Amino acid sequence: MHTITVTINGAAEYLAVRSNMTLLQMLREELGLTGTKNGCEAGECGACTVLLDGEPVNACMVLAVESDGHQVITVEGLAEGDELAPLQESFIELNAVQCGFCTPGMLTSAHALLQRHPKPTEDEIEEAVLGNLCRCTGYVRIVDAIRDAAGSSASASGKGGAR
Amino acid sequence: MLARPGLPSFEYVQAANAAEVHSLMQQSGARLMMGGTDLFPQMREGVCEPETIVDVKHVPGMRDLSYDERLGLNIGAAVTMNQLVRHRDVQAHYPILAQAAHSVASYQLRNRATIGGNVCNASPCADTSPAVMVLEGVMVLQAKGAERNAPAADFVTGPGQTAIEPGEFLAAIRLPAPPAGAVGRYLKLGRSRLGDLSIVGVAVLGYPDPAAASGYRFRIALGSVAPIPLRAPAAEEILAANTPSEETFAAAAEEAMGVATPITDVRAGATYQKMMVRALTIRALRDVWAELAPGKGA
Amino acid sequence: MTHATAAASQRIGGTIGRSVRRIDAHDKVTGAATYADDLLAARGPGLYYGRLVRSPHAHALIRSIDASKALAVRGVKAVVTGEDTPTRIGLYLKDRHIFALDRARLVGDPVAGVIATSEEIAEEAARLVEVEYEELPAVFDPAEAIRPDAPLIHPELGEYEVVNFIFPKPGTNISEHFKLRRGDVEAAWPQCEIIVEGTFRLPPIQHVPIEPHVAISLWEQSGQVTLWTCSQSPFAQRDLIAQSMGIPHGNLRVISPYVGGGFGGKAGVSMEACAVAMARAVKGHPVKLRMTREEEFICTNARQSLEAHTKIGCDSQGNLLAMETRYIFGGGASNEYGVNIARAAGYSCTGPYLIPNVKGDSYCVYTNTPVGSAMRGFGMPEIHWGIEQIIDQLAEKIGMDSAEFRRRNCVKTGETILTGMEMPAINLEACIDKVTEAIQWDRREPPSAPHKRRGKGIAIMWKAPAMPPNAGSSAVVRLNEDGTVNVEIGAQELGQGAFTVLAQVAAEALGVPYEWVRISAPVDTRYSPYEWQTVASRITWSVGNAVMAAAGDARHKILAVVAEHWDEDPADLDIKDGLVMSFKSEREQPLEGLVVYGLPNENFEGWKGGPIIGTGNFMPTYVTNLDFETGQGTRAVVHYTVGAQAVDLEVDTETGQLEILKIASAYDVGKALNPDLIMTQIEGGAVHGLSSAFEALKFDEKGRPLNNNLVDYRIATVADIPREIHGDIVETPLEDGPWGARGVGEHVMVQTAPAIANAIYDALGIRFSDLPLSAEKIFLALQ
Ligand SMILES: Cc1cc2nc3c(=O)[nH]c(=O)nc-3n(C[C@H](O)[C@H](O)[C@H](O)COP(=O)(O)OP(=O)(O)OC[C@H]3O[C@@H](n4cnc5c(N)ncnc54)[C@H](O)[C@@H]3O)c2cc1C
Ligand code: FES
Ligand code: FES
Repeated sequence: MHTITVTINGAAEYLAVRSNMTLLQMLREELGLTGTKNGCEAGECGACTVLLDGEPVNACMVLAVESDGHQVITVEGLAEGDELAPLQESFIELNAVQCGFCTPGMLTSAHALLQRHPKPTEDEIEEAVLGNLCRCTGYVRIVDAIRDAAGSSASASGKGGAR
Repeated sequence: MLARPGLPSFEYVQAANAAEVHSLMQQSGARLMMGGTDLFPQMREGVCEPETIVDVKHVPGMRDLSYDERLGLNIGAAVTMNQLVRHRDVQAHYPILAQAAHSVASYQLRNRATIGGNVCNASPCADTSPAVMVLEGVMVLQAKGAERNAPAADFVTGPGQTAIEPGEFLAAIRLPAPPAGAVGRYLKLGRSRLGDLSIVGVAVLGYPDPAAASGYRFRIALGSVAPIPLRAPAAEEILAANTPSEETFAAAAEEAMGVATPITDVRAGATYQKMMVRALTIRALRDVWAELAPGKGA
Repeated sequence: MTHATAAASQRIGGTIGRSVRRIDAHDKVTGAATYADDLLAARGPGLYYGRLVRSPHAHALIRSIDASKALAVRGVKAVVTGEDTPTRIGLYLKDRHIFALDRARLVGDPVAGVIATSEEIAEEAARLVEVEYEELPAVFDPAEAIRPDAPLIHPELGEYEVVNFIFPKPGTNISEHFKLRRGDVEAAWPQCEIIVEGTFRLPPIQHVPIEPHVAISLWEQSGQVTLWTCSQSPFAQRDLIAQSMGIPHGNLRVISPYVGGGFGGKAGVSMEACAVAMARAVKGHPVKLRMTREEEFICTNARQSLEAHTKIGCDSQGNLLAMETRYIFGGGASNEYGVNIARAAGYSCTGPYLIPNVKGDSYCVYTNTPVGSAMRGFGMPEIHWGIEQIIDQLAEKIGMDSAEFRRRNCVKTGETILTGMEMPAINLEACIDKVTEAIQWDRREPPSAPHKRRGKGIAIMWKAPAMPPNAGSSAVVRLNEDGTVNVEIGAQELGQGAFTVLAQVAAEALGVPYEWVRISAPVDTRYSPYEWQTVASRITWSVGNAVMAAAGDARHKILAVVAEHWDEDPADLDIKDGLVMSFKSEREQPLEGLVVYGLPNENFEGWKGGPIIGTGNFMPTYVTNLDFETGQGTRAVVHYTVGAQAVDLEVDTETGQLEILKIASAYDVGKALNPDLIMTQIEGGAVHGLSSAFEALKFDEKGRPLNNNLVDYRIATVADIPREIHGDIVETPLEDGPWGARGVGEHVMVQTAPAIANAIYDALGIRFSDLPLSAEKIFLALQ
């Protein structure tokens, strides 16, 4: 057991965690923050994406003990009280949500993107959510919503990448 | 047969310095960890069952990334892929490494995945290995009270096997200053456009060299097409000896294809992988050449 | 009065046909939406966890199970095996044991369940259960499994209980054989100018919802049983589990919160029954059972494999004359649900074409692979893969444009189709016109680079809801003090937008603003009205009708009270925007108050009315049985939804990689109740269809999985989507649909794969008759 202090969505939490507990398990099973989803436990789907010191990580691939002394933001921490973040508004407005299981991870990935690049290009949006699988939407609305939240018609750089 | 839910039990210890790493490594069943992105899936699958996990990324220097014109780039073993991608000096002087790091998995995974973990895991499809090889990097292996340099060229000895001796750990990777005027390109082919493991990875570095008959030298390394990442010396010789042209590139690519010994697996068949070595090598050569000698054509 | 003024602005346009906001979106963007794994998420002292012991063999007899070592582990509470659940379970054919009883039929078949105080302990203990197997020869390929000398996977097939429209053949691996006979194919062949014949194959694939299966069950001492799970079928699960385990239906309560993607994979019963059986062993303790992603790939239901052999011919004018087709579905280890896929493929075997002479045989056969079951399209993506390519081949041979060929031969309103049924109103030609226009069918565009080739392809489709003839829906509409409305339904929100559209239906049918309507969720079989299953693209239509009836009932009751109060004829009254009004007297009365407290008589001498509840149901009553020998009958299905897709793509000849430049889709939805939700189905479906063309579950020669993870079983990422997805909606009202609406949830991916294959052919002149596609396959074919 390790005793850790971690700031989650702005509030300090003191916890005792087992070595083999992942950050995902800690959030869901110890803290009841079930907005962060488990889709694979293997770093493959992105449903568990949270922000660790502002950067997105797969919470299933981080040990709970490693978050000691760090800041974690989950989907529950994106809104300011009852006020939804612009990204959340855009996701609703543009129907970027279907079953909603990928949504928390999409939002956290996109939130970090807009922190890094307030006016992201198409390639930057693609890069940001490449690791967030969605089986429902075909991604079209998700990309639209991120672009919309950025308040820009992102530069039409087309799709690059190794071909 | 099936991966377990969650991680099996183990004890987690964070090493504060190299001395602690060395003493913790002595314990039976100890395993080093940085990002855990290779280790955790292996533990879930039961491929390895460490009793103790020693987190070495907090050892001083492990996450440092520094560039010196003369000495080149010093990459702490625990530098993450995203750190590499973003770093100005890497972008300016070692873009091929930035390309390779950028091709790994997803943005969020690259925040955890480290270059040291990538090379130490010694998977044939590790994306940074071919880039480190053409940059002629050196692995800095830290034993108790001693440091040893192992050339990247023969660092990986087999799938999952490296030249690391018991009692050593990877502290850093050093890349010499690239040859003057060097241009590099890492091309990765996956089953989908982005985000897949590579089924073929080709790294090409070209630079002017008056001593070479062609006036240029090219280094070529291949990933995913043999048990270990490989250089393609015969191809490199052709390029040093013959004026760059479509024919020369084709001949070199043919040689590169010749060194590949892929096996058919669930990701791709051997024939396709071999032929893709040729196709990607030609593409990478063309790209590099276009930048090396703009307007010269091929 | 406050409501009335606020509502006045909503009046324009009403709710139907308007792209209102999704009712579930706020919950889903804040992380508040609850999914099955979010229930009992915190580890507490009374909560137990389960893990399943699974067969490592594709086909084996179970000789003995020794759980003593597992039971000795601290924290282990019980181990259950097949002996605890000896009765069979299944939807159309009861061919499945909850835990394998004497025989394991696939790698991953559950043979025992371990219950412990943590998932970790349950996993450790599960590894200690010793099972002795006697391996048997296994068979994986449907074409091999159908042979008389193939290893028998269900020797007791003859004893299984089966519904009256499914026909298993005991002594073989055939669990269903559907025959379609119309006209005389033998007489028709000589009249054909051109005949094309081909074999087309599809591998098994997975649904891959991002949410894996989770079930929690609690068996109380009293005999009350609760199952919380992510389910498309809470009522069907209640029915099947109750029957199999001898629980009175009233005692089994299935609660299903939001479903994180279904696509058919969470229809019927799979691992949920294991959770209930495990809960019985530890009464009073909830047992949580979750599938890992690795299990999800092989241990939950998959899409069946198919080998299709088709011969088709037309006359010199390009009129289709005859088709002979044989479909062999590889149904996996159990075909309890899959038998009806083969049947659906049989009665729709021609695809959306009018062909006078048809001989169709559709089989479902057992194979030692994951259990085949419902997946988006229910047999239609499988059969259209071959049909839509062979139609292209025919058109090419006869020298006709393939879109034109389809226009000429596609099924039209009022025609008598292959089963003898008259085609309800649809407009497939309009769909073809829309997509050919959107894709600029007549223009050949150059590729973007010399080493690339560009091509366009088209494919059309049809699909009927495949279900028992009498699958029913019901709804309750309750009005609250302030005039807001709670709609109770047993249908599920899977992401498709059902709750939103049903709220729209209630709002419009009742006469209140959409914003006043709430859907009572989660679906709970104790309180929610009956629903067969959320499958078959039947919810907007079937539940829509039930909600419309329930809202109509409530409306009727309200108007009766007010009419009496005003001493007017109810026919002169209406409810609009939450206000009862009279056309005649122009009086107005807000719903607020009235709908619960009623209305006081003059001088408060007594009251009228009372709390308003409307109830409604819907069940199609007109579907008839089909003749066993010919598949002929008056009404095979309730209706068909039809559509077209066209694809523009580029192939990189140096690597074989494909880039989809554009997918254009058009579907006849009858009436678009919420047009933007239809567009999101069209977009999601196009990408799902595209992705499915590259997907395959792969196994080694012993039937062990090779790609049961998301790295090696790749689904489309954001980087794989077409550059452009275009959608068009065609509206030919359905006779018995709410405002004419019919479903479109599955159809949007049915013909994507063959449209791509046709475009590849256009680009390269190479036909791919077997899925999956891959860059490798395309490249090697080019050499
Ligand atoms: C979903 C997914 C996708 C992936 N995609 C890619 C991809 O596209 N390309 C690619 O190349 N890789 C990919 N990987 C693999 C992995 O992310 C990379 O190899 C990563 O760089 C490993 O780094 P790490 O820090 O996480 O390693 P760790 O898992 O921490 O360690 C890897 C190995 O190195 C050992 N080790 C750790 N530190 C040291 C040290 N200092 N000295 C000696 N030995 C040490 C560990 O014991 C372990 O055996 C993927 C992984 C996942 C889960
Ligand atoms: S649950 Fe973490 S990436 Fe899938
Ligand atoms: S909305 Fe269902 S997975 Fe994305």
